[in-house]
Amino acid sequence: MVKNVRIGFDVGGTFTDGVMLRGKDVLAKAKALTSEDVTSGIIHALDILLNSHKAEVAEIALVSLGTTHTTNAIIERRNLNNVGIFRLGAPATTAIPPLTGWPDDLKMAIGGEENIFIIRGGKEYDGRDIAPLDESAIKEACKKIKGKVNSIAITGVFSPIIPDQEERTAEIIRQELGNNIPITLSNHIASISLLERENSTILNASVITVMRKAIDALKTAVKERGINAPLFIVQNDGTIMSADYAVNYPIFTVASGPAASVRGAVYLSGIDNGVIVDIGGTSTDVAFIVNGFPRESSVTVTIGGVKTNIRCPDLMSIALGGGTIVKTRSQDVIGLGPESVGYNLVKLAKSFGGPIITTHDVAVAKGLVNQKLDVFESDFAPCIENVKKLDKKIIDAAYEAIKKRLEVAVDQMKTVAGDIKAIFLGGGALVVPREGLEGISEVILPPHFEVCGAIGTTIAEIGAYAEGVADLEIEDRNEAINKVIEKAKDEAQKAGAIRHSVEILDIEEIPFAYMPGKREKVRVRVKGKIFE
Amino acid sequence: MSDKLFETLKKWGINNYKIIDKEAVKEITLGASILATGGGGDPEIGLLWAYKVLDEGKTIVMIDPMDIPDDILVASPATLGAPVVLTEKPPSHEVLSNAISNLERYIGKNLQATIPIECGGVNSTLAYAAAGEFGVPVIDVDGMNRAFPELQMTSWVTFGVNASPTVSCDDRGNVTVIDTKDDNRMAENIARRVAMAYGGISWIATYPMTGKQVKEASILNSQSIAWELGKAVYRARAKHLDPVEEMLKSLKATRNVIGIKVFKGKIVDISREFGGESSKGFSLGKVKMEGLEDYKGRIAEIDFQNEWLILKIDGTTRCLPPDLIAIVDPETGEPIRTDIMKYGYRGTIILIPAHERMRSPKGIELFGPKYFGYKSDYVPVEELNREV
Repeated sequence: MVKNVRIGFDVGGTFTDGVMLRGKDVLAKAKALTSEDVTSGIIHALDILLNSHKAEVAEIALVSLGTTHTTNAIIERRNLNNVGIFRLGAPATTAIPPLTGWPDDLKMAIGGEENIFIIRGGKEYDGRDIAPLDESAIKEACKKIKGKVNSIAITGVFSPIIPDQEERTAEIIRQELGNNIPITLSNHIASISLLERENSTILNASVITVMRKAIDALKTAVKERGINAPLFIVQNDGTIMSADYAVNYPIFTVASGPAASVRGAVYLSGIDNGVIVDIGGTSTDVAFIVNGFPRESSVTVTIGGVKTNIRCPDLMSIALGGGTIVKTRSQDVIGLGPESVGYNLVKLAKSFGGPIITTHDVAVAKGLVNQKLDVFESDFAPCIENVKKLDKKIIDAAYEAIKKRLEVAVDQMKTVAGDIKAIFLGGGALVVPREGLEGISEVILPPHFEVCGAIGTTIAEIGAYAEGVADLEIEDRNEAINKVIEKAKDEAQKAGAIRHSVEILDIEEIPFAYMPGKREKVRVRVKGKIFE
Repeated sequence: MSDKLFETLKKWGINNYKIIDKEAVKEITLGASILATGGGGDPEIGLLWAYKVLDEGKTIVMIDPMDIPDDILVASPATLGAPVVLTEKPPSHEVLSNAISNLERYIGKNLQATIPIECGGVNSTLAYAAAGEFGVPVIDVDGMNRAFPELQMTSWVTFGVNASPTVSCDDRGNVTVIDTKDDNRMAENIARRVAMAYGGISWIATYPMTGKQVKEASILNSQSIAWELGKAVYRARAKHLDPVEEMLKSLKATRNVIGIKVFKGKIVDISREFGGESSKGFSLGKVKMEGLEDYKGRIAEIDFQNEWLILKIDGTTRCLPPDLIAIVDPETGEPIRTDIMKYGYRGTIILIPAHERMRSPKGIELFGPKYFGYKSDYVPVEELNREV
């Protein structure tokens, strides 16, 4: 039997969406409530898809998901690993020890400050040692943490350029503590900026077990249902990685939901450059697509109160969704949100016989919402007479307010002059105005827009990146860049890509400021295919 | 409070001092980062360092310059080098005290207070961290009330106070004494090369001077100006007020100057001139912004040489150094830095008249448009923006 069916899931705050596709054909869709443990909600959605009997389990070639497991664990400080923290950099760096500036409860949740060791070692930007690596200090530290920690984070100064000392440290720790302890090396996690990379590395080490358990549970569930297909997880940049790779890099999945939506939108609309407007029940995310991928945020990303430098999509979230409350006084609209009735829409909104005017009701009155989406159980307006009774002045004013809020958000995200195409998606996509929007040349409502994120997870492209420092006074620029390209391709291959299919997404060169000489940082991002 | 610090204040007859707690460090850091005009490096390092000093139970105290005795010795602890190296290689906890104690040894006198060299994310807060570690007060002054890329670009030099002797250290314990007497550009040249040899970043104790010189040559109360500015932004965030409006109000209150909001837009082009580091010792480039909302259809172009330097809107010059250009996030008031800015950043441009002590003829010669290689004569920002 030909294996050509793909299954994808997108775990959202309220719903877990699932889709089953063959080629571009969507065979089945599912919306299940997101469960507290996340995993059982995914399994529920999987069962809905399988029970549709649109494909044989033997035809399934890939199962892929965008998930909130790691984000939730960090935010809720739940089930985190006790982390042994090694920094290679003394005598430098001691002014600011690891975990400085972390919230106290999160520090406690990963085992506190007793497991921190600043070891003599680290590199200068030009490859010299700050100090030779103090191997005996590492062994000494291992004796202290034995039995107290179940995950290790290692961060060395300038390791993104010269990773040797981090690797050697890991080797020693394995000798002392055994091969089973998970070890996260900072050079695999993020780029230059020691404290933020170290934070990202420690966070990664703290959710290793959460991710392992989730992936094990899903693998088992998939297997129990007779599916023999690899499992993939969406990364923050919209590409995917194999689950076996993901167990070691859970921090790369914190923004996998929005990233999957962008990829799905590109796939469904065929548009490579434009804005994506993802409208949920409570909020709307506006993202920008550049050559088919989400534009990356360049500001520090804070996760659970900790500053990190992991790469995430540049998103603007505004309080506007399908359930946003329209506030009125007599015949005037005095406010729009930020509160939303959320999934209680079907109980509280006018269209459903409830007392509250929501953006959904405005859209019904304006004729924007005029079809029942098959993933939702209820019709869009069972009590349409309630909506017809609403004051036209209020409806028009609310409509204008919604339109204005959307236009401002899109305008803020645009980086090009002139009007651009916008792709609307998400469960609330029908609720916002689609005509006459300033700055938007055309609104595209792709088919299956309500499960766009889940579809985005199934697009089989592996992403990876690498970086290095080039000294252009002694090195040839092209050679230096090629070296980094090869390194990025190695990474893509490790994450599951077929090497010869790997192509370059972008090359970035950043000169070192305040320094004589011609040194620059080179960063290369690549993507590659899983299938031939 | 440490006994030593308390005794010092008592000896000087100072009853009015400000305790700098974590909240204050946070506010001063933000304010100083805004006044750093796009430069000054990643403020996180200085901030976390000061936090750590406070966590160790040490006290940081700021005093008014007019209260200090004329004969005390003070100096500026600072970092000099490449911001990107600093970001990757934070310092040893001993490096600043090493620089300070070696300066003390060279001069043969003990340091009795610290003075920040500039308003910058890193160098402002360092003076506080060092003061806390040494048990001495910070004086409410600096040498610029903004950030500039070179060591000699201070009000101190315009008044005849020299950077020498300067002591430069690295984390390994290497120490270099730079004594160029009154040749302050030579001090900068040597200090820059020492930083290179150390691995890109150096930790210095510089501008040793007397209490009398502090009063005569510094930008007075510049720390309070930055502090109030930072407070204003945090207040705006908490109350959902416009951070830019609150900044302008704060500058009016502390300095009695009119800051001018001239543009709101997003970055649509960045061109970095490669090699400027070796030929001129700067990171050079140009940023283009396209107007948003009220400024739609207008174009702002900003030249930068580590810091924002010159602003043109629709081809007309609107700001020249040493006047300040700050570009801040319209929603949060967070400053946008030249080293981390990217395409798509949204920002509001605010122009702030430089402090009068920076605008003297000597100041314009040392850090006016001509020093940075521009032909134009200096024209104050108030005159360039009369119609606004």
